[in-house]
Amino acid sequence: MKSLRYSLAALALIGTTHAAMAADNLEIIVPFAAGGATDIVARSFEPTFSQQLGVTSVVRNVAGASATVGTAEVANSEGNPNIIGYEPAGALSIQPSLKKLPYGPDSFTYICRTVSNPMFLMVSKSSDITSFKQLVEESQDQPFLYGSSGPGTLPHLAMAATVVNSDLKAEHVPYSGSGPAMNALAGNEIQIMADTETILENYDLRPLAVFADHRVEGYDDVPTIEELGLPALDFSVWQGVVAPKGISDERAKQYAEACKATVESDKFKTFADKAKANIAYLGPDDFKAFVQKRFEANKQVLEDAGLTQ
Amino acid sequence: MDVILAAVGDAFTWQALLAIVIGTWAGIIIGGLPGLGSVVGLTIFLPFTFGMDVITSMALLIGVYCGSVYGGSITAILINTPGTPQSAATTFDGYPMTQQGRVDEALGWATFASFFGGVLSCVLLIFCAPQLAKFAVNFGSIEVFALVCLAMLCIVGISRGSLLKGLVCGMMGFFFSMVGSDPITGADRFTFGTYALSSGLDLIPVVVGAFALSEVFVRFSSRDEEATTIPEARLRFPGLRDIGRRLIELVRGSFIGSFVGALPGTGAAAAAFISYAAAQKLSPRRANLGKGEPDGIIASESSNNAVTGSAFIPTLALGIPGDVVTAMMMGAMVIHGITPGVRLMQDQAQTVYALFVVLIIVNVAMLVLSKPSIGLFRYLFKLPLGFVMGGIVMFSFIGAVSVRGNPLDLVVAALTGILAYVLRRGGYPLAPLVIGMVLGPALESSLRRGLLISRGDFLSFFTHSGIATTLFVLIGLFLIWTVTAGVLEWRARAATRRKAASAQPVSE
Amino acid sequence: MLATLIHPRVLTALALLVAGAGLSITAWQGPESAMLVPRIVLTIWCVMALAILVGELIRQAPRQRTAKAPRARSPLPLLMAAVLIAAVATASLGFLIPVLPLVALTLWLFRIRRPLPLVLGTIVIGGGLWFLFHHVLMIRLPALLTNGVI
Repeated sequence: MKSLRYSLAALALIGTTHAAMAADNLEIIVPFAAGGATDIVARSFEPTFSQQLGVTSVVRNVAGASATVGTAEVANSEGNPNIIGYEPAGALSIQPSLKKLPYGPDSFTYICRTVSNPMFLMVSKSSDITSFKQLVEESQDQPFLYGSSGPGTLPHLAMAATVVNSDLKAEHVPYSGSGPAMNALAGNEIQIMADTETILENYDLRPLAVFADHRVEGYDDVPTIEELGLPALDFSVWQGVVAPKGISDERAKQYAEACKATVESDKFKTFADKAKANIAYLGPDDFKAFVQKRFEANKQVLEDAGLTQ
Repeated sequence: MDVILAAVGDAFTWQALLAIVIGTWAGIIIGGLPGLGSVVGLTIFLPFTFGMDVITSMALLIGVYCGSVYGGSITAILINTPGTPQSAATTFDGYPMTQQGRVDEALGWATFASFFGGVLSCVLLIFCAPQLAKFAVNFGSIEVFALVCLAMLCIVGISRGSLLKGLVCGMMGFFFSMVGSDPITGADRFTFGTYALSSGLDLIPVVVGAFALSEVFVRFSSRDEEATTIPEARLRFPGLRDIGRRLIELVRGSFIGSFVGALPGTGAAAAAFISYAAAQKLSPRRANLGKGEPDGIIASESSNNAVTGSAFIPTLALGIPGDVVTAMMMGAMVIHGITPGVRLMQDQAQTVYALFVVLIIVNVAMLVLSKPSIGLFRYLFKLPLGFVMGGIVMFSFIGAVSVRGNPLDLVVAALTGILAYVLRRGGYPLAPLVIGMVLGPALESSLRRGLLISRGDFLSFFTHSGIATTLFVLIGLFLIWTVTAGVLEWRARAATRRKAASAQPVSE
Repeated sequence: MLATLIHPRVLTALALLVAGAGLSITAWQGPESAMLVPRIVLTIWCVMALAILVGELIRQAPRQRTAKAPRARSPLPLLMAAVLIAAVATASLGFLIPVLPLVALTLWLFRIRRPLPLVLGTIVIGGGLWFLFHHVLMIRLPALLTNGVI
């Protein structure tokens, strides 16, 4: 009950405190509309992060075009020390190979990776398919349909890579998000979907394989893709913080330290636990190398599947 | 039973009630201001919910959501500018009533219909959520395609004035929705090589331009005529007898809203248009529709507020948000550790029931708060016209730019405003433009997804499932009925004209 | 004949037809899968616009004689231009700076011309609402400075 009163008091006070501290003002760009999965994590990340930096920060949602509009806004703010982006995997590691964008993987100062969840290949629990082998066999007569949360998203790429690298026969049907795709899976309009643990747990789904280099805790009987005789495929849904190019090394170091402290804070950990986000911190150099690697790998998948333009 | 009692206890805490009052009142005001709608309202309040408990924060957000859907009708009736896209259909009869000096009655009907629709959908939500959710799952791409086809056919007749002009505006709206990334292949369409356009045109800036800004232009060009004064708005609730007479309209609108709201990928704006189209075919007073008939307001407002309740059905029962607004609410729940999904009803029954109770209280609060809110708008609209118009321009700008944070959306709003003014002067109705933008994407993606699923075989659409077949048969019947009715009417008119011509020989 | 053609209703219909035709050409050049629905939509658009144009021409022709009421030049295009310019300028100048003159002009054109109401109205409606949303409610509007103050 206190919290409500505090929030209301805050409503009145924010204006004044904000104006007073306006000089040290950090904008955190989230390239999705408010309330989305990435936005929620960003908004839980923001208070501790700005406290660590000693600044006032505002989350700004710049949505559109598969998150590339907001990401481009960060890239275009070259040298601006008061703007960072809380970015999803797709905007950094897939979209630049799909279409002409005003940025590429080299357009950012990488700060940190915050969370990362491995993806599972899954089917509806109401289907009688219990293994990947069975799935491949049954797909021979009539190809299956796999859903995704849109063209060029991670669920699309993961399945496209699986189809290219195995005997599985399946075709792609994109939806406008994970929710509608789940609706279609529940109604047996599609049969296969690749997504994270959150989706797996919330809907009646059966995991057949995991797109990671080792088995995942809690799902010990779910084999990795490599164990099934396919080349190793690594697909995970991750998020990270990037800043524009051209900021001072000192500022970049401040960001990196603040990010590390935030990710390790109890507050963020409690939240991540509730939202089933898997904390997976990577520092600036590791993160940069990671994005580069993912970018190349995804580009290869897109080329193999004939999806590049 | 214990669970329900405990849930009622959760909902009737003073902080939840306070949150409902604040949220609903703010929602009505935000919804009433042209340009600002449900999404902006929720964005404003979302950050405040982080420190609250689940029920309080949901109470605040549900209040804002339901309030804003109702609030949009106030400006739709008073100044012919829907405060939110959901209330666009309310202008058809609401504004003519205002021009006839029946503004009190119009506001009364809008308020009562909103309340009725909201409560009825809550009741449906409480008793039939699992069944409705199961039914919604059977609505795959092909069924949605059939439904949208049927809806679009019904709506074609909605526009006042020329059918051709309505159609061309509908196609224009449909075209607007196609700019940007293609939903199936991801290829850019109609961007003409500019990156800025690849995010497409958003509905809100277009609605802001088509209604709010063009209204400013229209009022400006006729600012010396009498029509520009805004009448004093009071609220007069309909009497019991009137309600009894129009009960069937209220129930029909609410059911249409509840049903459409439960389907994924539609929303309150679509529901209101579909319900209005149904009233146009079925209301006993349909001849007056569009000229200031309360049935039109009832059709639009009862259905768009019914969506507020039923939109929670797929969200709570399946974890599938039906539109942007419910997606934001779902986000707020996730923050508090409640992940909507198939097991939510079992694992968190108390919270779910508490949300139902909150929804009902919100609708009651809306009824109580309607009077002071309309009072506030009355006060605002008493200001000299210049201040009102300046405010509308300002709110339009804020609304257009804050939906996606993209300055290009402002340019879209401004250009749409100028285009809409030209079209209005040429006698083109603007509602079909919005309808095309709302239903177009659903029609296109369901068609193309359906083609992927049936592997390019369009004929198999008709036999895909029982629901699909039924809907296509309905479409066929509707087409036959319309054509026959049209031919009969045309013959009758030709006959009277001939009679009139023979009775009165030409003298000139 | 020319007078018929330059009637605004006819011009609107003509413009619609030209726009529809232009877009159709783009649509027929694109890939089959993505442009399937646009082609259908734009074809209907063109047919409708053509029918309207014919209708307007027939309706307009006999009415040609009705003398146009001598109308004073309306400053409406000025207001439209101001709205458009302000909208375009927001991307580079931030929200506040283009909006202040726009609000002032709107008030002026709607006959609020005494200096005090004009200035106060501009500050409250333009500046006040901007401050409310940008700084109090933290709904970030486009900004001029990198730290977002203005």
